[in-house]
Formats: sequence, C-alpha cells, structure tokens
Amino acid sequence: MPRASSASPPPAIAIDDAGARVAVKGALGIRTLPDFEASLKQHPPKGKSRTLDLSGLTELDTPGALFLCALRELGMTLTGVRAEHRALLDLVGGLDLKAALPKPDRVPHWRRLVIELGKGADDAWHDTYDILVFIGRAINAIGTALTHWRALRLPSISRHIEETGIRALPIIALMAIMIAVVIGYQSVAQLRPYGAEDFTINLVAVSVLREMGVLITAIMVAGRSGSAFAAEIGVMKVREEIDALKVMGIEPMEVLVVPRLIGLIIALPLLTFFADVMGLLGGAMISRALLDVSLTQYLDHVRHAAVVNDLLVGLIKAPVFAFFVGIIGCMHGLRVTGSAGSVGDETTRAVVKGIFLVIVLDALFSVLFEKMGI
Amino acid sequence: MTARTRDREEPILSARGIVNRFGRQEVHDRIGLDIQPGEIVGIAGGSGSGKSVLLKTLTGLHRPNAGEVRVDGRKVDAIGPADKASLIGVLFQQGALFSSLSVAQNIMLPMREHTALPAEDQERVAAMKLELAGMSAETGLKFPSQLSGGMVKRAALARALALDPRILFLDEPTSDLDPLTASGIDALIQKLNQSLGVTVVIVTHDPTTLFTICHRVAMLVDRKLTIDTLDKLMRSDQPWIREFLHGRRAQGAMTARKQNHGNG
Repeated sequence: MPRASSASPPPAIAIDDAGARVAVKGALGIRTLPDFEASLKQHPPKGKSRTLDLSGLTELDTPGALFLCALRELGMTLTGVRAEHRALLDLVGGLDLKAALPKPDRVPHWRRLVIELGKGADDAWHDTYDILVFIGRAINAIGTALTHWRALRLPSISRHIEETGIRALPIIALMAIMIAVVIGYQSVAQLRPYGAEDFTINLVAVSVLREMGVLITAIMVAGRSGSAFAAEIGVMKVREEIDALKVMGIEPMEVLVVPRLIGLIIALPLLTFFADVMGLLGGAMISRALLDVSLTQYLDHVRHAAVVNDLLVGLIKAPVFAFFVGIIGCMHGLRVTGSAGSVGDETTRAVVKGIFLVIVLDALFSVLFEKMGI
Repeated sequence: MTARTRDREEPILSARGIVNRFGRQEVHDRIGLDIQPGEIVGIAGGSGSGKSVLLKTLTGLHRPNAGEVRVDGRKVDAIGPADKASLIGVLFQQGALFSSLSVAQNIMLPMREHTALPAEDQERVAAMKLELAGMSAETGLKFPSQLSGGMVKRAALARALALDPRILFLDEPTSDLDPLTASGIDALIQKLNQSLGVTVVIVTHDPTTLFTICHRVAMLVDRKLTIDTLDKLMRSDQPWIREFLHGRRAQGAMTARKQNHGNG
C-alpha cells in the first residue's frame, strides 16, 4: 500500500543529515506531515544541489505528495523515488495548483455593525410589507372559499381543528388551572392584611375570563400550531411540493393556508372557552384550600363577581389572535428557501413573531375596551 | 488492469453471512462479499433490492441482524472514529455536504478533527482535493446550496477523499446527472483508482458505470448477492441478471465498454 495505514501508530521520519543530501525514512502522510515539516526546518539541506533522498520512504499519501511537490518547485531535487510513489507525485504535480484557496472578504467590525443595522431596518420594512400583502391574499382566499362551496376543504379543516384544538386540550387545561392557582395565591397574600381575601374570587374570575384564559391559550397555540404550520409548509417548500401544486394548477394559498386559518379560527375560541372553565375550576380549588369556600359558595360568588361581558371580552379576542398566529405561521412556512436550515430559522421566527403579535394585540384590545367602557 | 494482478492478497473488505431484516421482510439472506485492494466493484440491483442497506452495512452505519463485516482485517464496528475516517470515505447519494459550511470547510472538517495539520496546510490540501475532483479552488468559497448537481457530487467526492481513505464507497455517483457529467465522474473514479490505488465500491443503477469502469460486479437479486466479472455474469441464466445485462439500456453501455477497453 502506498499510503499511511490507519492501523499503525504515526511513524516517525528520520533525517540523516549528510550536508547537502537529506534522506527521508519512514512514512509521510497527513498525520506525520507536521512533524516532518518541523524536522526539515531544523535540518535543511544545504548547498547548491539540495537533494532529498526518498528511497527510504515507505508510505506516501496525497498531502505528503503535495508537500514534496512544493519542495521540488522550490528547487530541491527528489531522488530515489519509488515506482509506486512516482505515479502519485506525477498526479499531484500535474494538477494546476497555482490558485490557492481564496479568502472570503473580511469586513471590519464597525462596518459590519452598520451593515447589519441597515439590513435589519430593511428586513423589518419588508417583513411588514409581506405580512400586509399576505393578509390581503389570505382574506381574499378565505372569501373565495366561503363563497364557493367546493373550494372550502372541509376534511382538511376538520383535521386542523383536531390537531390545533383537540390535541391541545390537556396542556391548555393544565396551564389554565396553574395560572388560576398562581393568581389566587398572590391575591390572598396581598388582600389578607385588609381582610378582603374574599375578593380573591373576583380577581381570579375576572382576570381569567377577560385576559388570562385567552392569552395563555393564544400563546400556547402560537408555540404549538404556529410552529407546526411553518415547519409543515416549509418542508413542503424544500421538497418542491409547493411548486408541484402550482404546476398542477392548485393554489397553495387555497389548499394549505385557508384550511389552517379557518381551522385555527374555529379552534381557538373553543379552546379559550375551555381554558376559562378550567381557570375557574383552578380558582375553586385554590378558594377551597386557602379560603375554605365550598364549590356552591364559590359559584355563587363568581356569578356576582363576573358578568357575561367579561366572558365575551375574552372570547371576542380569540379569533383575531387565531387569524394572526395562523397568518404568521403560514407566511414564514412559505418563505422557506432551499436548505433545511432555513426551515428551522423560519419556524423560530414564526413562533417569536406570533407570540409578540398576540401580546401587542392584547394591549390594543385593552385600550379599546377601556375607551368603550366595557 | 493492474489491480487484477493482486488477486491473492488479503481482502481489504470482507462480509460474511450478512442478514438484514426489517420486520418480517428479509432484505439480505446470508450475503458474502470479498473485495481485494485496488479493485473497483459495482453493486447493482433493482429498486428496493437493498443496495443502500448493504452499503450502510458495509460502512458500519447499519448493524446487520446477523453476520459480520471486516475492513482491513478488523470488525467494522470495532474501528475507532479516527481510524475509520482514514480507512473509508463515503460519497452519499445527495452529497450530504454540510449546508452551513463552505465547500472548502466541508473538505477541511475531517482534517481538522483527525490531524494536527496547520490551518494553512489544510487549505492547501483542500485546494488540491478540489483540483483532484475536477473543480477550481475558487469553488471552495461557495456553499452547497450554490452548487449544481454535478458540482455537489464532485465536492462530496473531494470531501470523501479528504483523509486519503483506502476504500471509497460511492452511493449512486452518477444518478441525476447528464450523460456527459456522468462520464466525467466515471473517468474521475477510474483515475483516482489507478493513481491513488484506492479501492472503490460503487452502488449504481447506471449500466454505463458498471460496464466501463468496474472490475467486478455484484448483483443483488432476490436477497442474494452474485459477484463476478462482467463477462461471466453476461453468461448467467438468472432471469433478472440476463434482463439487466442484455436489456436495451445495457446495449449502449456495451458500446461504451468496447470504446473504453479498445486500446487497453
């Protein structure tokens, strides 16, 4: 075998220093090359006719041959080359190696900062524009689907209701109960010094119905389903399935985006109602534990504390959140390009932006309802 | 063919009694295989006949239900990572180039992990491997997503050659390529085999590759492997092998073989 055997330990290279002539012994391969280079620097062949005797060379691989060729270029004579090594030296020597590996352009730090800032601003503008355009196209497609019975894909919608809604029930229940318990604990601790701990029930009921139920549900769905939309559609994009749909004259917006959006818009209010019920149940548990209030007393209290408006204020926000979470998820899925890495990037963006939008919209709703006096 | 003269050497790759099963479906039934150093062996078989599973078994990526694979006299799963990297190189079907690294970084990755070569030497070696695989050094800066199909294969080949492996496994090196690019890859494989003495195992559908550059061909038919020289396989009476080697697609490849061997 002309090349370094992987089984043997890295063999050493002995240099017999005899003035102008240096004899190489042992194996010259990628593993022994650094040592060889170092020892050759210490004992360089001297004189006019610098010669490297290779008759003692047992093994040679391509990096070794590359190094020897470089030495030959520098005017060193290689003698005693074995037949099996000559072919390798000829092969490597015959390659056009004038061009070194080019270096990528180095940009100074401060300039990169400016460039990144500019890119970020540009991206933000394009993002906003894309979202607006996508919302327009989605609403158009939903409108078409609702007016044309055939374009409304009921099996697909029901599948998405199951995936985004029914499968989220356990986790939503757990989260809603926990949040109610947390609010309950904090309220009791704050209100007890004033002897007003009975108002804990009011606080829990109203905050769950108006804010917490819908907010927790929407954030959970943005994490669960927003990411799923982006990843599913993104993978289809990578595997050219979206292009296949277009070629077959099927509008991806109609078959992929609309069923997901409609499914989510139906599922999220239902999930929110479920979260409200679970939150009130959590409130009952905490009242029982901390205030010694029975279930009937608790329900009676809740009926006086919360009005129907509180429930409706929460529920009315749900379809709006659903629409935006779905839009963001689908849009980022369709923005995936080429590589597998971009699926991950876009999924992350879909989740972050989805949660961000939910919270911003919730703040806007709070202001709106305050002004309306609801 | 100089490689054929060393027939009596210890096989560099040998498989004994390989059985692979997925659920109830048996893919390989006690398959054996011996490959001598310096050989080019083609593995052919119909779609779904288990060629890729065989390749994964031979490279130690898949553990067979029974049987053992020896590379260079050692059991394939007993070989340490660094040794394995300099013993075998694999060209995956889709290239499997790391998309976050440039082509040059892809080639330098095994060197960086397994050798003490200084960075600038690594770059010089990477430029040489690119040149060896028929690409210019400038390509090294590009990212896999910017390469065409043929370039991906060449870049992946350059990466497979990074540590001068003794056996090169190629999974469908010419699939998805136009005939000209495919013959270019074939010629490249032959050149690497002749000048580097590297043993090559090719899994392929391409009759041209089998007819023009392979010293021996292994046919995977009906869970069994038949390995022989092409001339002997041509005389086989196994229906699938007959159909494969005498079918219409093989005729063109026969002509190519005559041209390739005409002056040698």
